[in-house]
Amino acid sequence: MIARKWLLVLALLTPGLGLILLLIGMVVYIAIAQSFGFYALRGDSAFSTEFWSEVLGRKLFSKAVRYSIYVGVWSAVLSIALAYPLAIWLRKPFPGSIGIGAILKAPLLVHGLVAAFLFINVISYNGLLNQAMQGLGIWSEPRRLQNDSNAIGVLLLQTWKNMPFALLLLAGAVQSISEDVLDAARDMGAGSWARFRKVIAPLTVSGMQAAMVIIFIGALADFTFQTTVGPTNLQSMAQLMVSFKVRGDWHSAAVVGVSLMIIALVGSAVLAVVARAVMRGRIR
Amino acid sequence: MNHAWLNSMLMAMVVGIAFIWLAIPFTMAVLWSLVDPVEPWTADKLLPPTMSFYRWTDMWENSSLKSALVSSYTLAPSAAILALSLAFPTAYALGRISFPGRETAKLLCLLPLVVPPFITAIFFSSILFQLGLNTWRFGAIVFAHSILFLPYAIRILTVSFEQVRQDHIDAARDLGASPFARFRVAYLPALRPGISATLLIVFIQSIEEFAIAFIIGSPDIVTIPTLLYSALGQDFVRPNAAVLSLILVVPNVFLMLILERLMKTANPALLSGKG
Amino acid sequence: MIGINRISKSFGTFEALSEFSLDVKQGEFITLLGPSGCGKTTLLKIISGFLAPTTGTISINGEDVTNVPAESRDTALCFQSYALFPHLSVLENLEFGLKQKKIQRDERNKRVEDVATKLGLNVQLDKLPNQLSGGQQQRVSLGRALVMRPSIILFDEPLSNLDAKLRDQVRVEIRRIQQDYGLTSIYVTHDQSEALAMSDRIAVLNSGKIVQVDTPEQLYASPRTRFVADFIGGANLMTGRIVEQNASGNASIETSLGPMQANKGAADFGSEVSLSWRPERAQVGAGPYMGKIVHRAFQGQFTDLLVEGNDLSFRIQTSDDIYRVGDTIQFSLNHDDVVLLEDEA
Repeated sequence: MIARKWLLVLALLTPGLGLILLLIGMVVYIAIAQSFGFYALRGDSAFSTEFWSEVLGRKLFSKAVRYSIYVGVWSAVLSIALAYPLAIWLRKPFPGSIGIGAILKAPLLVHGLVAAFLFINVISYNGLLNQAMQGLGIWSEPRRLQNDSNAIGVLLLQTWKNMPFALLLLAGAVQSISEDVLDAARDMGAGSWARFRKVIAPLTVSGMQAAMVIIFIGALADFTFQTTVGPTNLQSMAQLMVSFKVRGDWHSAAVVGVSLMIIALVGSAVLAVVARAVMRGRIR
Repeated sequence: MNHAWLNSMLMAMVVGIAFIWLAIPFTMAVLWSLVDPVEPWTADKLLPPTMSFYRWTDMWENSSLKSALVSSYTLAPSAAILALSLAFPTAYALGRISFPGRETAKLLCLLPLVVPPFITAIFFSSILFQLGLNTWRFGAIVFAHSILFLPYAIRILTVSFEQVRQDHIDAARDLGASPFARFRVAYLPALRPGISATLLIVFIQSIEEFAIAFIIGSPDIVTIPTLLYSALGQDFVRPNAAVLSLILVVPNVFLMLILERLMKTANPALLSGKG
Repeated sequence: MIGINRISKSFGTFEALSEFSLDVKQGEFITLLGPSGCGKTTLLKIISGFLAPTTGTISINGEDVTNVPAESRDTALCFQSYALFPHLSVLENLEFGLKQKKIQRDERNKRVEDVATKLGLNVQLDKLPNQLSGGQQQRVSLGRALVMRPSIILFDEPLSNLDAKLRDQVRVEIRRIQQDYGLTSIYVTHDQSEALAMSDRIAVLNSGKIVQVDTPEQLYASPRTRFVADFIGGANLMTGRIVEQNASGNASIETSLGPMQANKGAADFGSEVSLSWRPERAQVGAGPYMGKIVHRAFQGQFTDLLVEGNDLSFRIQTSDDIYRVGDTIQFSLNHDDVVLLEDEA
C-alpha cells in the first residue's frame, strides 16, 4: 500500500479509533502506574509494590474478589440458562410470538437504577411482596428482604437486566440455523433434546460465548446494584475501588482497578473455553 | 404433547410473570409519584388516599431536579454531536477503504465497551487531576461520554458507509458532479438513517450514563441518574425516587422505539446495552 | 410397499393436495413431476413425516405410519439445499443418523466406508461442508441418506442447485446407486427431462391432483390430457371433429390442417376432440399437410421450425437442415403419432 493512502487512512482513523486508543490506553496506563505508586496526588511518586502487597493481603479485598466473581458468574449463567430455552421457543413465529418477544425484551428499556428502585419498592419492609405474603398468610410478619447477605437481590436484578440481552444475542444465533438442517436432523432420528445437543448448541456457541463474557464483565464490575440492594457486609470490587478513591487513596484504588481488569480478562477467557467445552462445539 | 397447547400455556406464563415483573412495579412507581404528603400512603390502603402532582412541582422547585434535567439534556446532545463528528472520518475509512488490519481496527473500536465503566471513570478523573483539567467538569463529561459511546457510533456509521453504492458514486462522477454534489446524491441517502441512529443512541446512552457522571460530575454537576442514585441512598424518599424513575424511563422508552425503527433501515442487527 | 391413500392437505383455505392416492412398489423409482406449487413437495413432507395430512393415510409395508413422527419413520430425505450439518465433518455427517439409531461401531464404519467409496467421498471425509463443491455436497447429502438403508428414500429436487453438466453426471449416479441397492425411491422434480431419464414410473401432478401415472415411454407417447402432452416434451395441440370411429380402434378426424387418422383405443370420444402430435414425429418432405416457415432455430442435432398454416401455428423438428424462413414445408403424420386427448375440445 502506498504511503499516501496509509497517511490518509491514519488521518481518518485518528479522531475515532485514535482517541479511543488514547483514552483507554491512558486510563489503563495510569491505573497500572498508580497501583505501583506513581502519579501520586499527594506526596512523592515512587515505584513501590507496597500498595499491591497491602491490598492483596487484606481480607476485605479477597472477600470482594470472591463476591464479585460469584455475582459475575452466576448472573451470566442464570441469564443464559433462561434465555436459551426462550430463544429456541421463539425461533419459529407463532401467533403472539412478536408480542412475547417484546415483553421479554422490555427490561432493556429500563435503566438499572430504576430497576433497583422498583425492586426495592417491591421487597421493602412495607413493600408489595411482604404485604402479599402476609395477606396470603404465608408470613406472620414482614421480613427484611433488602440487602440480604446472599446477594439474591443483586442476582435477581442482574438476571432481570441481562436476560433480555442474552435473549437478543441467542435469538439471532438460533434463527440463523437453517430450518432444513434441523429437519435433516429429525429425519435422521434426532428427537428434541438430541437436536439441541448436537445441532443447536454447537451452532450457537459463539453467540452464547459473547453473551456470557459481556454479562460476566458487567456483573463483575457492578457498582449500582451492589450499593442499592446488595449485602451490607460485603463489598463488590467496584465499590471497594470507589471507596478507596473517595478517601483519596488513589493507589489502593488503582490496585483494585487493575485486579478487576485482570480478573475480567482471565475470567472471560475461562468462561469462553468452558462454554465451548460444555456445548461441545468445535475449536476451529 | 400438543404444541399449540404448550405454546398457549407458556405464553400465559410469560404474560403473568411480566405482569408481576414489570407492570405492577411500574404502576406502583407511578402511584408513588402521585402521593400527596397530606396523607401518607400506608400499607393498608390499596391506592394512595390523596393523589396530586405535589411531588412533581415540589421537586421541580426545591430540589436539584431542574439542574439535573438541564445538565442531562445538555450533556446528551453535546456528546451525541461530538461522537458523530469524531466517528465520521473513522467510519468512512473502515467502511470504504480496504487496508490491511481493517478487521483488527474494527475490533479495537470496541475497547471502551470492554473496560468496566467505573475503572474508566475513576482513572479518567485521575488523568484530569494530573493534567490540572479538573475544573471544567461539563466538558470532561461530554468528552468522556463521546469517547465511551464511540463504538456504537463507529459501528453504525461504518455499516452505513458500507451501504453506499460505489456505482452510484461512479455514476455521479461520470455525469460531472463535484465532490460535494457527489456526497449529497450518493452518500447522504445511505448515511441519513445511520446519522440519525448514531445521534439518538449516543443521546440515550448519555442520558442514562451513571459512572462518569457520578465520579467526575459530583458534586457540582447533577444528572438524572446521579440524582436518582442519591435518592435511593440514605435519604430514601420514595415518592421522589418514583418521580425521578419515571422521568428517566418514560422519554427513554419513546426514544428507544424511534431508534428501533431507524435501526431497521440503518443496520439490521445491532443491540444496545443498558444500565 | 408404500401406500398413499387419499391424502388431502389444506393450508387454511388453500388446498395443496386433494384426494391423492398412489401405490409405490418395492424397489421402484417413481417421480412426482409437476410445475411449482403443484403440491409435490408438500406430499414429500407428508410421506417423510414433517407435515400431517388433513385427511388420508400413509402406509409403509402395510403398516399405517400416518401418526409416526419424522424422527421415527423409516424414511430418509435428500434435501434440495443439501442441509448438511455445517459444524460436522463429512464423516460425522454420514454417521449422524447411524449414531442416532445406535448402530454398533463396526457396522457403522462398514456402512460409511461402503457408501463413501461408492460416492467417491473417501478423500473428503475430514472436510467440513463449506470446503466442498456443490456436487460434492450433493453426494454427501445422498450418502447420508443411503447409509441409513431406509425403506424409502425421498429426493426433493436434489439437482436443481447444480450446473447443467454436473446435473447430468449426478443424475446417472443417483439412478445407478438406487438400482444397485434396490431402494424404493420417490423423486420430486419440475424438470421433465430428469423425470424421463431416471424413472420407472412418473406421476404427473397439477394443482394438488394426479393427472397421469405411467412409464416415461407411455407418458411421452400417449399423454392423456393437454397438460401432460404440453408438460412433457413439446406438443402441438389442436382441436378437431371426429368424422368416423370404428371398433378396431381407428378414428378419422377433420382438422384445420386436413384430415388425420388416429388410434382411439378402447374409449369412445365425442364429436369434438382435442389431439396432440410431437414436433419431431412429423415426416417432412411430402404429405398432405403444409405450412409456411416463419422462424428457424438451429439446434445442432435438429432444427426447430415454427410453421404457420390454415390459421394454425405449430412446431416441427427435423434433422434435415434445408429449410429456411419463407419456405413452404410439406409433411405427413403417422396415425400412431396422433394422440387423442381426454380434455374437452
